[in-house]
Amino acid sequence: MSVFQHEYRPYEGPTTPLWKRPVVLARYGLAEAWGSKITIGLAVLALLPCLVELVLMYLADNPLAKMLVVGNSKVLEINERFFFNLLEVQSWFALVLAAWIAPRLVSFDLGDNAMPILLSHPISRFGYVLGKFIALVLSLSYVTWIPLLLLFVYQCYASPVPWAVGHLGVAFGLFTGALVWIVVLSLVCLAVSSWVKWRVVATGAIFAVVFVPAGVGGMVSAILRTRWGFLLNVPVVMSELWMRLLGVPPFGNPMFWFPNIAIVSVLVVTSLLCVAVLNARIRAREVVRG
Amino acid sequence: MGVIALDRLEVRLGGRTVLSGLTGELRGRAVGLLGPNGAGKSTLINTLLGFHEPSAGTAKVLGMDARTDRMRIRQSVGYMPENDSFIGNMSGVRFVRYMAELSGLPPAAALERAHEALFYVGLGEVRYRKISTYSLGMKQLIKLAQALAHGPKLLILDEPTNGLDPTARQRMVQLIKEIRKEGSMHMLISSHLLRDIDETCDEVLILKKGTIAAISNIEEERRSHRNFIEMEMTGDTEAFAQKMNALGCECARFAGGRVKVVMPDALSQRDLYITAAETGAEIRRIQTRRDSLEDIFLRAMEYEGVMPRDAQQPAFVDGGKG
Repeated sequence: MSVFQHEYRPYEGPTTPLWKRPVVLARYGLAEAWGSKITIGLAVLALLPCLVELVLMYLADNPLAKMLVVGNSKVLEINERFFFNLLEVQSWFALVLAAWIAPRLVSFDLGDNAMPILLSHPISRFGYVLGKFIALVLSLSYVTWIPLLLLFVYQCYASPVPWAVGHLGVAFGLFTGALVWIVVLSLVCLAVSSWVKWRVVATGAIFAVVFVPAGVGGMVSAILRTRWGFLLNVPVVMSELWMRLLGVPPFGNPMFWFPNIAIVSVLVVTSLLCVAVLNARIRAREVVRG
Repeated sequence: MGVIALDRLEVRLGGRTVLSGLTGELRGRAVGLLGPNGAGKSTLINTLLGFHEPSAGTAKVLGMDARTDRMRIRQSVGYMPENDSFIGNMSGVRFVRYMAELSGLPPAAALERAHEALFYVGLGEVRYRKISTYSLGMKQLIKLAQALAHGPKLLILDEPTNGLDPTARQRMVQLIKEIRKEGSMHMLISSHLLRDIDETCDEVLILKKGTIAAISNIEEERRSHRNFIEMEMTGDTEAFAQKMNALGCECARFAGGRVKVVMPDALSQRDLYITAAETGAEIRRIQTRRDSLEDIFLRAMEYEGVMPRDAQQPAFVDGGKG
């Protein structure tokens, strides 16, 4: 198959191992996701809170600057609560970014009926989902645990008093908490995108999947006078999880203080539902029953 | 080793038996898969690719089991699906490169092969355009390019000429012929167009209602009927028929002066003219028939069960007066 002769020639070169095929999907997925100016804009926007927090950390760690700006107030105390607030903000940005990126990863393939061609190559359905999942998790890492851990490292470096040893749990909490969120979020977004072929509709559906159950849960709790309805509110559940992972003392509405097993169960059930949806939707051929 | 070997293959989908008791071995360089709509052609292809699990029996592709060796089969196969199947917002070259990388080619080699494949199928000039802007014929060709790019051992083409205008169809058929002639890969071509299969294949598997109606070697059929001639004659056709029979031909006369002759290898068309002149008959029209595949197909459709090989020969029926 040389260009100048226009003749077919068989390929006799080396081939990559099978385990690398999801990496190909992830690489093309990342290129697809970050090829959009809106993605770049959202990512830049998502880093603004980190920049603000960085300035605050500088002020808090520089005695002279702190004295000039806030005096002896404890407003600028860098502790678990400080990182918890930042994690919450970044997680909302992650949701927006995921709702934009995930449909680009999956809906294009489904909309153009590319699954028969994609899956006719040596890649399994699991490998396909894994590739897209890796692309999404890496994209969301860029706005969640990576900048947060960088800020943590900066605080360890800039703090005038020994700080790192007493707050190592914060680093663990930031990483684990962000990772749990982006894993669950990625599964939810991929599942919704595989269900809705139209990209814009899929983006709206992702927000709906997060917020509609939260509203329903609120209504259930109000009508039945129970707190368990709030378990349908994934942002609330995640906040509770992050507080425990970062070691933040409980605050806010005591109705949201769920037992650990309830929080884990909600996240596991949500993830399993998403896996079931992906299993049903990511197929080369649909079988019509009857 | 056969290209495709089926052993009592049964496939059930959605509670229905779509393929039932398929047994046979296909060894041809280019195998045609024929059958009316709903006969199970696409289901068979999907089963060979591992998209559908056999409910009983086995299917082997290039010696690999379709149930247990899916990844190895897909590594060795290039597949061009029947319907539109691509990523519309990708350029042609990027799409083909992507597919080649999924088949295991390193990125640099995949890019090189993508360019070559696109030039080979005739899409070189439009390779940087988004696929969504391609015409129907171009979309068919890019599906062929991605199936070829990684150098498969078996190329599966599902209705490759579907929706093409006559010029584009001819180009597609020509490409298939060139690939077949090049000889480094086998082909399985599914179509409901007899002419496409007749022009491109040397073996044919005919499906009917999920069962094998016939397996036939078209090349052998062509060889056995290369001197099957139809004529329209005037004059003494009875004497002509007797003389041709005496020369070793099988000759049959029909109403309206139509005469059919199967010529032995030793005779040529010139002998027909000589005999006609000697017997006082005149040949008004002469046609060498090449549609043995149509005969086989129609017989297979009429036949209940698997048609034996001898029944696949177009019967030479003396339907005339003589």
